[in-house]
Amino acid sequence: MSNNVTERISKIVRVVPRNRNTELVLLLFAIGINALEVVQVQLSTMQKVNGDFWFYWGGLAGAAMLLHLVLRLRAPLADPMILPIATTLNGLGIAEIYRLDIAAIANHQTELFGEKQVIWTLVALLLAGIVVMFIPSHLVLRRYVFIAGAIGVGLLLAPMLPFIGKTINGASLWLSIGGLTFQPGELAKISLTIFFAGYLVQRRDSLAMTGRTVLGIQIPKARELGPILAIWVVSLLVLVVQHDLGTSLLFFGLFLVMIYTATGRAIYTVVGLGMFLTGALVASRAISYVSKRFDAWLNPFDDAHYNAIGGSYQLVQGLFGFAHGGLLGTGLGGGVPQLVPLAESDFIVASLAEELGLAGIFVIFALYILLVARGLRIGFNHNDDFSKLLATGLSFVIALQVFIVIGGVTRLVPLTGLTTPLLAAGGSSLVANWIIVGLLLRISDTNRKEAE
Amino acid sequence: MSELALFLLRIGLVAVLWIFVFSIISVIRSDLFGQKVAGKAAASNATQVVSQAHLPNPPTGPVRVLQESNSPSSKTATRLVIIAGENAGRELPLDGRELHIGRAVNSDLVITDEYASTQHAKLVLINDEWLVQDLNSTNGTFLGGVRVGIPAVVKLNTPVKVGKTVFELRA
Repeated sequence: MSNNVTERISKIVRVVPRNRNTELVLLLFAIGINALEVVQVQLSTMQKVNGDFWFYWGGLAGAAMLLHLVLRLRAPLADPMILPIATTLNGLGIAEIYRLDIAAIANHQTELFGEKQVIWTLVALLLAGIVVMFIPSHLVLRRYVFIAGAIGVGLLLAPMLPFIGKTINGASLWLSIGGLTFQPGELAKISLTIFFAGYLVQRRDSLAMTGRTVLGIQIPKARELGPILAIWVVSLLVLVVQHDLGTSLLFFGLFLVMIYTATGRAIYTVVGLGMFLTGALVASRAISYVSKRFDAWLNPFDDAHYNAIGGSYQLVQGLFGFAHGGLLGTGLGGGVPQLVPLAESDFIVASLAEELGLAGIFVIFALYILLVARGLRIGFNHNDDFSKLLATGLSFVIALQVFIVIGGVTRLVPLTGLTTPLLAAGGSSLVANWIIVGLLLRISDTNRKEAE
Repeated sequence: MSELALFLLRIGLVAVLWIFVFSIISVIRSDLFGQKVAGKAAASNATQVVSQAHLPNPPTGPVRVLQESNSPSSKTATRLVIIAGENAGRELPLDGRELHIGRAVNSDLVITDEYASTQHAKLVLINDEWLVQDLNSTNGTFLGGVRVGIPAVVKLNTPVKVGKTVFELRA
């Protein structure tokens, strides 16, 4: 009924979808910047531009333009800024990874990431396109809330399975099937966000309003703390069994953000943070790998930690990279970011900081802030709680990852093994984050339709 | 490639990145100011059409004519008076539009106690009678002490209880 009415109105008013043209201009700008980056890498390392340019630039550029066309057809009112921002970040990542590959080839190393990154980018953009094309409205997801929850927990715990679970660098996060490795935890973020959103919409009344008031603070009823306890146990399980502080922090943080958004009660955040900090402190005493991370974080320049295996060497090299970059950086291809272990994935922020300098790294921060702000705005514009919570949750998945990784690299928090969204090398992470982008675009389209 | 060209490329890239950031910010800015007018116009259109479509009886015309008849129904109610609860003593005028009651901030009657649901109940004027409909609230809506199942007619001066708040319709 009201749908028909709104359709009629939009026909009468004939709103011109200004959005897509804005997006096209910004996207062409973003693609141009990406071209400039790849050219700069080639010029400063090889003194000439060769045919590889088309591969490292064209893959992302073409796929992003295709996604733009899909949006014109299927989601004409979607937010115009999300796609260009995501494309810029992804392009920066590809250029830096390509640049690290060139350094690796010069060092006669065989493990290269650039080609894989471009191919995964194509897969990721394809999946984002599928999300936009085949999910008519994000509200459909509400029907699958508990399935999403089960899938999420399953994916999170899947690496503990025998045979297909795989441990790399001490963390058991991977599934390995026929030589292909994948991090199921990356996709778990999305399905758990859907689950949290659906669950909290159902429970928000009792979570928000029940309980006694003591000294002006409303204390929630004991049974309302049950789900928080359950999530706390799962995230500590991830920490203890899978040896991954980052993922565990991400999930627990996401849950706290969403429960705070749903209820507006700070007490859940305070209690939750307290629980997590207690758990983490106990873990840092009891589990050797966590205590190593803590020591490396607090005293990275100490010789004992610097020289220890799994100590602060990587962190300190990353900090040297930041210092070497200075204000304006060495230019892409001008620095020595390959000295940092895992420069293409966990430490890509340090690599980019070295080559683009403080001015460049602040652009990256600004782009993340704008991306997250758009996501929150999309949630804010919606009238129903599920959409609000879903958009907020998805944005905060990105925000929390950025905080945890960049905080770790810059020594604000202990270093943990998460990937920088859209920048870092890694197929699972790219796929997951582009699906988040696709979902945000889908949510924003539905939302502008309602408004007009 | 000369050093100077590389230097220019290096500075140029950072500069272009910043221009990109600021062009996005300027789009957001124009979006905020440009869209407000269009959005409001469309929204006001929408509410007019929707409310006309939904309202079985617009407050003009037939209502006024029938008002003189002597039936005991609630059509003569002109105000809603809160008699117990946080806002006891306050009144709301009734103009024939439907009235949403609940904790949601966009309700016509916002009730902030913990026994009320976000979308608790609504009052609708149908066939010159005010009906109260419970919107699947957790703790129910009570009309004269009886829990409302299907939408029920609200007679004048009959207490309706939503959460801790009790109100009556009065002429």
